[in-house]
Amino acid sequence: MAPGASQVSIRDLTVAYSGRDGRLVALERISLEVEAGEFVCLVGPSGCGKSTLLRVVAGLAGHESGTVEIRANRPGRPATAMVFQEHALLPWRTVLDNVVFGPENRGVPRAEREAQARRMLDLVGLRAFARAYPHQLSGGMKQRVGIARALANDPEVLLMDEPLAALDAQTRVILQEELLRLWAELGVTVIYVTHSLEEALLLGDRVVVLTARPGRVKRVFPVPLGRPRGLEARALPEFGALVDTIWAELREEVLESAEAERRVPPS
Amino acid sequence: MIPLILPALVLGAWEIASATGLLRPVFFPRPSTIATLLVAQIADGTLLGQLGLTLARLAVAFVLAAVPGVVVGLAMGMSRRTREGLDPLFALIYPIPSVLFLPLVSFALRAEEVAVAVTAAFTSFFIVAYTTMTGVQQLDRTVLEAARHFGARGPRLFLTVLLPGTLPAIFTGLRLGLGYTLIVVVAVEMVGAQRGLGAQLWLSWQILRVEEMYVALVTVAALGAALTWGVERLRRRLIPWAQDIGEVGA
Amino acid sequence: MIGAALPLLLVAGWEIAARTALVSPRYFPPPTVIAAMLGRLLTAGEFWGDALTTLARLAVAFLVAALAGVPLGLGMGLWRPLRRALEPAMAMLYPLPKVALLPLFLILLGVGEGAFVFTAAVTAFFQIATSTAGGAATIDPRLVEAGRNYGARGIALFRKVILPAALPAVLTGLRLGLGLALITVIAVEFVAAKSGLGHLVFRYWQMLLTGEMYAAFLLIGLMGLGATRGLRALQRRALAWQEWRH
Repeated sequence: MAPGASQVSIRDLTVAYSGRDGRLVALERISLEVEAGEFVCLVGPSGCGKSTLLRVVAGLAGHESGTVEIRANRPGRPATAMVFQEHALLPWRTVLDNVVFGPENRGVPRAEREAQARRMLDLVGLRAFARAYPHQLSGGMKQRVGIARALANDPEVLLMDEPLAALDAQTRVILQEELLRLWAELGVTVIYVTHSLEEALLLGDRVVVLTARPGRVKRVFPVPLGRPRGLEARALPEFGALVDTIWAELREEVLESAEAERRVPPS
Repeated sequence: MIPLILPALVLGAWEIASATGLLRPVFFPRPSTIATLLVAQIADGTLLGQLGLTLARLAVAFVLAAVPGVVVGLAMGMSRRTREGLDPLFALIYPIPSVLFLPLVSFALRAEEVAVAVTAAFTSFFIVAYTTMTGVQQLDRTVLEAARHFGARGPRLFLTVLLPGTLPAIFTGLRLGLGYTLIVVVAVEMVGAQRGLGAQLWLSWQILRVEEMYVALVTVAALGAALTWGVERLRRRLIPWAQDIGEVGA
Repeated sequence: MIGAALPLLLVAGWEIAARTALVSPRYFPPPTVIAAMLGRLLTAGEFWGDALTTLARLAVAFLVAALAGVPLGLGMGLWRPLRRALEPAMAMLYPLPKVALLPLFLILLGVGEGAFVFTAAVTAFFQIATSTAGGAATIDPRLVEAGRNYGARGIALFRKVILPAALPAVLTGLRLGLGLALITVIAVEFVAAKSGLGHLVFRYWQMLLTGEMYAAFLLIGLMGLGATRGLRALQRRALAWQEWRH
């Protein structure tokens, strides 16, 4: 890639499946550029393919055509690390052993990877729980471990697939605050998928609105809310205005998606 | 304490009923008589000898069932082709009571002890294999995906994810298999052995030494209970993160 | 396709090995001979007599086990005092190989149908009661609350909410119990009876009629397979509303 190019470059990406009723196109010739150190949020109606897009970038799903390029700033670092919606921790490993999983698989020596893991656990405030098992933790804590695990892997790009969706509203707010703090400290490139418009605006530098299926980029909104940012940003008048503006775009797509679902009832 | 009330009451009533002739002592000897005989047989070593023999057969049979069972179960869980290849064969053999294979196995293997062990291993093998296979199939797919995503491949994926993830199911299979092996070992001893708890059970019936039969019965029951308890303790030790998944339908 | 491959290979290999005396054809008769025996068995009267005997014992044993096990299991699952009282005894008796009780039953009921059927019934009873109790105890309490809230009480609540909710576990218990009952009946016949499929196998063994013996195995296996598969299909029908995960 050319110097000065984006951190993540998605060009004309098409993802399709052959399903029961023929070819189902999840994403159609979608293109997106993400700069280094940027926090980009993807929003869109259900089924628009935002999670699919994330999975393709993570290498978890294939694509039919188009390209996904992730610039390697430092050789030896993994390209991506994903934070899953249902944390997906290994239940038989302690918190610490879960966080070291990525570096462990890459052959990083024990002392180094454990030190790194403890640093990450410190960052998410879970140092005291290093020896606990996932089933002993609350939902919010498990999700924080998931974040620590992804960060410990030191990726070029951090991918987050609706990481806070499975949590109750109060825990969500707490973790949103923590994410803001973490990101301000680490400055890693993030692609974040969420259903919540408010969350996207709170966390992101840019909000990308996807269309209903097949997914394409409908519009991209820069978020001029300043950094470092805290929860108080929600009270700013610009925040509310942005919510309205983006919702207007999003609403169309949500309605169209609901309409499409009505046309094809479950069998 | 409470759990012991009911059995204590039953035993007490039995003692009285038998002593007063309400229950025919020929069929229902007094628990005190049985207990006395039990102690005597332990003291002179005969009971421990019988128990030891049954236990030894059980151990050999169980290992014969468990090791291939886990291996095959894992293979069947990981590879669809293996599963489809073996399933019809297994499904046909599985419903046949193990004890019926005794004649067959005795033909093939001259050594009596080996024959007993192999016979008892049959159905247990299938139980362990199927339970293990189901364990692999029920692995949380997201966890598997996450592990792959964080760089675990091939042998590492197997050791760090597949095996620990299936361990609860394997344990359930081993627990069920052990219970079943005990059933068959006792049954086989009843049919074709001269010594062992099952043999004592059967032979003492034939000569109407009812107290001896009860002693054998109590010992078998105690053995079964002890094994179940032991497996449960082991499971809690080795798999602190999981609950027993319970019965898996065949 | 693949499924048929392995058995066919084994059968073919066995045929060759037996014909060429690689393995003793007396103890491992070639599959073609077994097939012939199978035909003879099915057409001869004695097999059907024994098969019917076994099925009759199975039916009685299963019925007794179900009629005792389901209500008791429901009681234990739904009513805590009962569970507390019985659970330790059940837990102690569950690991006991019920076949060990056969001599006891033979003494009590004499050498006859009673002992055979009862042993099988007891084996199945424990499984049915345990599965049913487990199912009844883990009914989602919210379902019961919702039922009560919408006016269902007593018998109606039981019939419309509790029973359907416990049904999957009950049916699974019955299915497992049926399998266990069959195995126990045949094992008991093998050991102690003078009729029935288990005894038939024993007779063949004594007379070294290995061909017939293998044929009997096959039939027993098919019978067991048929019984459990059949019950599973019935289960699926009755529980069409449930997501089937097996």
